[in-house]
Amino acid sequence: MLGAIILKEWLKIRWVWGAALLVHLGMLVYLLLAMRHQFQVEHSEMIWYWAFELRRLLYTQIQYLPALTGAVIAAAQFGPEMLGGRFRLSLHLPVRGDLLVWCWVGFGALMGGLLALLDGAGLYWIISIWFPREAAESALLTALPWLLGGWVAYFGATLALLEPSRARRPVYAGLTLAFLALLDQGHGYQEYDRIMPQLTGLALLLLPAVILPAHRYRHRG
Amino acid sequence: MTARLARWSLLLLTILLLAIWIPQAKELLFDDRFGKTQLFYSPVIERFVYKELIGEGHQFVYRDQDGTDYDRESFETLIPFIYYKNMELWGRLPLVLGEHRFDKAAIVAERQVMEFKPQDLSDQTPRIQLFPLLESNPERARLRFPEDIMRPGERLDFIDSDANRLDPELTRTFTQALEQAGFRFPVRAAFGRVSILKAFDAGYFLLDSGGALFHLRRLDGAPEVAAVPIPEGIAVRDIKVTENKRHELIGFLLAEDGRLFLMTERDHDLIALDLPGYDPDRMELKILFNPLYRTAVYSDRETIHAVVMDRDYHPIDRYARRMAMARERPVDRVWEMLVPFNLNLHDPDSRYLSLDVRFHGLAAAIGVAASLLLALEILRLRGIRPTRARMDLLLVLFTGLYGLLALILIPPEHGLET
Repeated sequence: MLGAIILKEWLKIRWVWGAALLVHLGMLVYLLLAMRHQFQVEHSEMIWYWAFELRRLLYTQIQYLPALTGAVIAAAQFGPEMLGGRFRLSLHLPVRGDLLVWCWVGFGALMGGLLALLDGAGLYWIISIWFPREAAESALLTALPWLLGGWVAYFGATLALLEPSRARRPVYAGLTLAFLALLDQGHGYQEYDRIMPQLTGLALLLLPAVILPAHRYRHRG
Repeated sequence: MTARLARWSLLLLTILLLAIWIPQAKELLFDDRFGKTQLFYSPVIERFVYKELIGEGHQFVYRDQDGTDYDRESFETLIPFIYYKNMELWGRLPLVLGEHRFDKAAIVAERQVMEFKPQDLSDQTPRIQLFPLLESNPERARLRFPEDIMRPGERLDFIDSDANRLDPELTRTFTQALEQAGFRFPVRAAFGRVSILKAFDAGYFLLDSGGALFHLRRLDGAPEVAAVPIPEGIAVRDIKVTENKRHELIGFLLAEDGRLFLMTERDHDLIALDLPGYDPDRMELKILFNPLYRTAVYSDRETIHAVVMDRDYHPIDRYARRMAMARERPVDRVWEMLVPFNLNLHDPDSRYLSLDVRFHGLAAAIGVAASLLLALEILRLRGIRPTRARMDLLLVLFTGLYGLLALILIPPEHGLET
């Protein structure tokens, strides 16, 4: 049963995920070229000065990519489900409803996570071409809240999409945006270092939370 | 059960987000632009004087410590070393103060400002531990960045910035020079000022694994290392290097026990500063130098202190006052009654973001009581008996308005009561 559920989820998102993979790869290539160009037109020691001392982030091209991807994967996974009452049919599978929903979001989050992993690894590799390893590690730490934004956007969009009540959808969308804004408050590198554990804990609350709209959908009057 | 867990996860998330964003929205709506009081020591009347914004617009007061008000021009004449250009314009130079006479050149030669802010502390600001070691003897008008960077660690690595590769020769030369001077690796901390827009380059102060301090410069491409004798009982927490063309002082040295010292440029002697109430983690410090005095002015967001010292840094007089910006506003009182706590994301003393809770104490009881009454009304409207929503009410009891708003946004439902 689990295999069938995962296959169904893969069929739903394969095109979108494939497109997202291309976009992520494209952005990493763009980042690589932009960085290369930067080092061709400026002296390396000046760029290092901007990066280390002036705290200029040279890799913001990928900042909003994880959040955008998270929302798109959720839309591909649950948008069609919500049309024509198909979601109700899915909830009648001989599996506990909450476990079923967690299977779906677990798969979606995993696929989003793979892209986040690609972003993280690509960022580290690109930075380490032109900077010492400390800068690559710093870039990865700086990008952690951006990557967490992918998780938040995915679960936030899932909450809004699964919610049967029109009045409550903006509430979930608002909460998601408030959380995403919280992850976009930095101006330099590693400013989130001391609160990433708390923010990760906060983001994990979204995992049990997605059961609520599914429960409300199943038990709506 | 999982639906109940789901709702509670959402409630918790909502409350935390509200506790972060609603206080920020309040600041956005009601923040005022009261800056810090500007406090000086007047060499003319030998009293402390200050300039302070006390209301909206341009309601400045120019006042001395005894409460005497001045107009702006008179105020500026009380601190002529600060406003020496105006003094020149108004034909008041050379300045005569008692037996002393100062022309413009004499004033300029003695003027200096040194600053030490909480954000200057190494543990308050993220910093990639790579530092350019400038050539201290550039033999040209301006300093320039080298094409390599210093990595303090198990040895003193140098990385070529063009090739992004270790320079083994430079690494060996500088590491050996430090070892020969008695430096014990690894480097615990490096302190320097990364800029080419400074009077000259003083290099770096490096703390070794045993807590001993060394001064490192690159002179004509070669390392110049000197051990810096630190008096017994002083453990270095931080050093702020501030090269200045007066060549008297090289910066601040902060000890682990909170004592602050000035370090002389030539011999690296430490001059203890007697600054009562100074807290380097919360207070901004300025030292204003003029031909007669050194005035240390330090403040958090409530109180500003000043200590005026003679040229040998012996205190002459002190003054402290609660700043206008610390005056409690009605909106703050109302706010503290309305919500039981704030979650502060931005710490003005640090570059790191934080999630600090600030509780409002008993004042919030009014807001909590009102929130509870409204929560009961919401339950009544939804036809849920309070006894079946005890946990929701308990949540409002602890989180006040935030809990009430969360309850409105994620209301209790039949079958999911607590």
